[in-house]
Amino acid sequence: MTDGRAYAAYTYNVERLVPWRTLTGRQHFYLDHELYLAYGEYLPTYKPSPRPEAYGDLRETLKSGEAMALNCLTPHGKWHIHSTYMENHRMLTLSRGCEPCWLSEADAAKLGIQDNDWVEVYNDHGVYCARAAVSSRIPRGVCIVYHVPERTVGIPKSQVRGNRRAGGHNSFTRIHLKPNYLCGGYGQFSYHFNYWGPIAPQRDTHVIVKKMTKVIF
Amino acid sequence: MDVRAQISMVFHLDKCIGCHTCSVACKNIWTDRKGAEYQWWNNVETKPGTGYPGKWEDQEIYKGGWEREGAGSIQLKGAGKAKGLANIFHNPHLPSVEDYYEPFTYNYLNLIEAPPGDDQPTARPVSLITGKPIDVKMGPNWDDDLGGSPDYARNDPNLEALTPAEREAMFQLERMAFFYLPRICNHCLNPGCVASCPSGAIYKRGEDGIVLINQKVCRAWRMCVTACPYKKSYYNWHSGKSEKCLLCYPRLEAGHAPACMHSCVGRIRYLGVLLYDADRIQRAASAPDGEITRAHLDLILDPFDDQVIAAAQRNGVPDSTLKSAQNSPTYKFVKQWGMALPLHPEFRTLPMLFYVPPLLPVMASVTQTDGAQKERLNPIAKTWTDDWLYDTSTEELWGTIEQARFPLKYLASLFSGGDEKAVAQPLKKLMAVRIYRRWKTVGDIDESRVDEVLKDTGLSRDSAEAVYYLTALAKFQDRFVIPPAHREQALEMLEFTGDTRGSQGFGFLERPERGA
Ligand code: SF4
Ligand code: SF4
Repeated sequence: MTDGRAYAAYTYNVERLVPWRTLTGRQHFYLDHELYLAYGEYLPTYKPSPRPEAYGDLRETLKSGEAMALNCLTPHGKWHIHSTYMENHRMLTLSRGCEPCWLSEADAAKLGIQDNDWVEVYNDHGVYCARAAVSSRIPRGVCIVYHVPERTVGIPKSQVRGNRRAGGHNSFTRIHLKPNYLCGGYGQFSYHFNYWGPIAPQRDTHVIVKKMTKVIF
Repeated sequence: MDVRAQISMVFHLDKCIGCHTCSVACKNIWTDRKGAEYQWWNNVETKPGTGYPGKWEDQEIYKGGWEREGAGSIQLKGAGKAKGLANIFHNPHLPSVEDYYEPFTYNYLNLIEAPPGDDQPTARPVSLITGKPIDVKMGPNWDDDLGGSPDYARNDPNLEALTPAEREAMFQLERMAFFYLPRICNHCLNPGCVASCPSGAIYKRGEDGIVLINQKVCRAWRMCVTACPYKKSYYNWHSGKSEKCLLCYPRLEAGHAPACMHSCVGRIRYLGVLLYDADRIQRAASAPDGEITRAHLDLILDPFDDQVIAAAQRNGVPDSTLKSAQNSPTYKFVKQWGMALPLHPEFRTLPMLFYVPPLLPVMASVTQTDGAQKERLNPIAKTWTDDWLYDTSTEELWGTIEQARFPLKYLASLFSGGDEKAVAQPLKKLMAVRIYRRWKTVGDIDESRVDEVLKDTGLSRDSAEAVYYLTALAKFQDRFVIPPAHREQALEMLEFTGDTRGSQGFGFLERPERGA
């Protein structure tokens, strides 16, 4: 806060005329790096998500009983900044008392899952135990866990993984590297924490979703 | 003409982002107390949804508000002399804990006090009432963002106005939409809560119309909880008194906007004075079904009219309040531009909180086709299955109001007691302002077309510009025009409110003794 106004991105650049930390000092929309040109990503570009086999998040995980493989997305939460404030009592009250796993009506029906049932969301990397939020706004074949839930708040032990305390959504996601993340040393294409580095594709993964058999805290 | 002043509110629903900052601001100031945990004087609901408390709009369940009888007089549906007496020891229409929720917290201490073990400890949810572990099954915003839509959104009482096919269409992923409905006490002109209270504990402040419960006089009858069709009176199980939104009157008296409005991130909230004719309240509240919205809006008077000003002055309304009425943003939205409507006018309490109905995202049309149509498509139209056509090439760029994501019938059930024309009007105006601004900033629309839509909706270029300003750019002092407090006239500072029975209790408000 300065003079009663909250900080907003780029205020310095605009008000104090500080050049952007880029090759040209301006904002870049077009990326003229060789690797970006080679991958056809010099402008914002839609690329379809790779198939589950290519990601390889479900190579070892056994599917047993009523379970289903779903594409899991982990977008930013509605009221917490990553894990900060996630355990805020007010906001837990104003949501579902946890960060649930959102499922489509069709998939939930197939899995015999009703709204607010406990579910396990797991793959080769880890497991997250949560309640289900069944919703018509979720497409079939997709589930959503907002990031980042904390396992310190009301998370029961995982039944598919030997009655141990499960993690948050980061336990089943991992960073997927794309070749263009590896370029660097060229203007703004230089590693800097939280500025330039591997980014969001870890938010797109594949999981098995299953109703929880027992709820043990 | 009995001219009085009322502090009224407008919520612009297209601007609400559902962040709940308002609810949190209110809770932190007023209801963070034992017995009030479940009270959300300000709450924000997802629509379609069942809201808070569950299905509050269904008066078959809760018997709130007024009903019109054959002769054209109105009676409280579930409270009042005879009915109140009959249910005096057990009121079957009161919402219960299941309709609200069992407030909970977490056993955070376990995180540091759990015995050593192989697993990290977790803080289990525990009831704030019993202190015992609970299975959280309900909350004050349980159906947020269409969560649990099979159980909640699909049971929204307003869907009854729709055919099964129309209902189903609302839940198709491709055309699905939802919006947020923030709610506070409406500080009604014909408040069910005031009329139902056997103790006369609830009163409407003379100077600004804020509806308050005198905590010294309340005797826990809870008739107001039933009688308020909006379920905005809550019973405090710890103090044994009912409580409700007080429009942050201590803040208002100091010239500050209520906390929910001050903190509103979407800047959807406006507050200002409306002048109304108290002589016509009874007639408006008992207007026939189709005419109630019109009658309600007709109560509101023009603050620039000499006769209105003279009558207001005769009634002791201070000039500073009249000045606020002339600058009132709510007067602009509600009367001048005709863009805001009351929520559920058919409950007949004459709410003084008005909503600019949501136009929702600009939208292409989605139609089911025989698949073969794909060949004949405009190249910019996209398809994602062979039977559904996502057509972005509508001539109008934004489609028409009739094609909007929410069927008009649904919005009409919320904002105009079922009158589709009444709810289409503000939507058309919103659209006209968009078209006007598009012409002005992008310039890809014909000037003649802009003038035509403005004329159609009764707006001028100036008023379109003013709507745009108040919607998109307005500052605090434009959004909140707060009249200076005149505490010297305040009823409750001079005498015990419970003694002025004539001005509350069963029946209609009587003229208070103040002014010349
Ligand atoms: S909304 Fe109206 S009836 Fe309900 S508590 Fe407020 S003033 Fe009373
Ligand atoms: S603070 Fe404003 S934008 Fe946020 S939910 Fe409340 S009314 Fe909507």
